[in-house]
Amino acid sequence: MKAFLYGIALQGRLDIRSKTLLITCYLVPLLFFVVMGGIFTSIMPGTEATLIPAMTVFGVTMGALIGLPPTLVEIYGTDIRKVYQANGVPLVLGLVLCNISAFVHLFIMSLILYFAAPLLFQAEFPIQTGAYFGCLAIFIAVSLSIASVIGLAVRDQAKTSMVSILFFLPSILLSGIMFPAEMLPKGFAAAGRFFPASWGYPLMSGAVFQAELLIPLLAMFLTAGLICAALLKRISRK
Amino acid sequence: MNTAIEVHGLTKQYGNHIVLKNLNFTVYEGEIFALLGVNGAGKTTTLECIEGLKKADDGQIRINGKMGIQLQSASLPERIQAREAVSLFAYWNQTEPDPGLLETMGIQEFAKKQYVQLSTGQKRRLHLALALIGNPDILILDEPTAGLDVEGRIALHEQIRQLKAQGKTMVLASHDMVEVESLCDRIGILIEGKLAFVGTVAQLNEKIGKQYNISIRSEAGVAQFATEDIAETLLTLLAQYKAEGKGISDIHVDRGSLEQHFISMTRGEK
Repeated sequence: MKAFLYGIALQGRLDIRSKTLLITCYLVPLLFFVVMGGIFTSIMPGTEATLIPAMTVFGVTMGALIGLPPTLVEIYGTDIRKVYQANGVPLVLGLVLCNISAFVHLFIMSLILYFAAPLLFQAEFPIQTGAYFGCLAIFIAVSLSIASVIGLAVRDQAKTSMVSILFFLPSILLSGIMFPAEMLPKGFAAAGRFFPASWGYPLMSGAVFQAELLIPLLAMFLTAGLICAALLKRISRK
Repeated sequence: MNTAIEVHGLTKQYGNHIVLKNLNFTVYEGEIFALLGVNGAGKTTTLECIEGLKKADDGQIRINGKMGIQLQSASLPERIQAREAVSLFAYWNQTEPDPGLLETMGIQEFAKKQYVQLSTGQKRRLHLALALIGNPDILILDEPTAGLDVEGRIALHEQIRQLKAQGKTMVLASHDMVEVESLCDRIGILIEGKLAFVGTVAQLNEKIGKQYNISIRSEAGVAQFATEDIAETLLTLLAQYKAEGKGISDIHVDRGSLEQHFISMTRGEK
C-alpha cells in the first residue's frame, strides 16, 4: 500500500513537471472553451443551458484521448516497461497511476470550466448538481479506459497520435455537441453511438437523469477494461 | 561450490529462427560469469530468459537467491528524479530507500536531477543502484559499461569488484574483452545461439592453443608475428633482423588475448 501511495504522489509530481499534460488537460480545452463559448452563445441563443456539459465533454474527450495514450506509450512502448518488470514493479502500475492522475486533472479542468462558464458566458449550471458530477466522473473514467486501449495497443508515439485523432474527431463531431445528433445522416448518427461522448453529452446535459444512458457507457468501460487486461498480458509476455 | 544459477537445455526461437539452442551452464555463488558473443549471438535473450522477461520455449532455469537486474537498454520516465526512482523501486521491493546505496553508487551528487538530464554514466550507475535495491544475491548485468567513457568504465569496474568482494554473484554480458578478462572468473562464449565454450580464460587459452604474439619495433616499423614455438621463432627473427641490418628498438611478447581467441572461435578457425 505504501508503494502504491508513493506511486500516486510521484505521478502527481511528474505531472506537474510535464508540459504535455498542462497543454492537453488544461490549456487547449480551456482555450477552446473560451473561444467556442463566446461563439456559441453569440450565434446560437439558448446555448447557455448546455454550454457547461458541451464544453466539459469536449475537454474531457480531448484530455483523455490526446493526453493519456502518449504517456502510456512512454511506459509500455519503451524499455521503461522492462525496467519496471525486471525490478519488481507491477506492470499494471503505470496504467493505474496514469489513469488516476489523468482522472484528477480532467476533473479539475471540468471544475474550472463549471465555475468559469457562468461568469464568462452567463451559462446555466446543470439542474441536478450531484447527478451531473456523478455522470461526469463516469464519463471521464470511460473516456480514459478507451484512451488506455489506444495507448496500450498502438505503442508508437507517432501512430498513437493519429489513432487518437481518429477517435477524437468523430467523438466530437458525432456526439451532438457541434450539431444536434438528430440532424446527422443516419449512418453518422449510428457510428456516433460507438463513442462515449455521444452518451456522455446527453447524460450530462439532460434536465432529468436518464439511467439508461449509463448502460452503453458501462458496457464500453467493461469492454475497454477487458481489452486493457488482455493487452497487458500480451505486453508482459514479449 | 554452491550453484547460483543453473541453466539446462535452454531453447528459444522467434518464429522459425532459433535464437538459443539447448544451452547448458552453471553459475556458482560469488563468481562473475560473463557471456560473450557477437551481436545477435543470443546473449541478451539468454539473460532475459533468466530474468523472466522472456519465456523459454524449452529447458529449465533454476535461480538460487534474489536477483537484481540491470538491462542493456534501460530507461525511466524522463521527469523522474534519480532519488525518486530509487524510492519507488525500494517501496515496491518492500524495503525503505537506503541513503547508503545512493552514497555508495555515487548517486547523491545527481539525486535531484531528472532522468532526462543525466549523462549515460549517471544513468548506468542509477540502473545499477536500482538493481541493488533489496540487497540481491545475484546481479544480472547486460552490457554494463556500454556507452561509457574511460573514467565511467573504470568507476563501474571498481563498483563491480566491490560487489564481488561483498559476495555477490554476477552474470554479465559484454563486448569488452578487456573488461571480461579483468573482471570475470569464468566465461561462456555464445556462437549463433550455442555455447561454444564455458570455462576460465586460462582454460580457453589451453583449448585454443599456446599461441604467442611477438611484436618487434625496428627502424623499418613495427612487425607482428604469431607462433606456438616462441624460442625457435624468436631466434629465427633475431637472426633475420641482424642479417638485414635492421636495428631493433623494442621486442614485446605476449599470450594471445581473449579477444583474439574469441575472434578465432567466432570465425570458426578453431
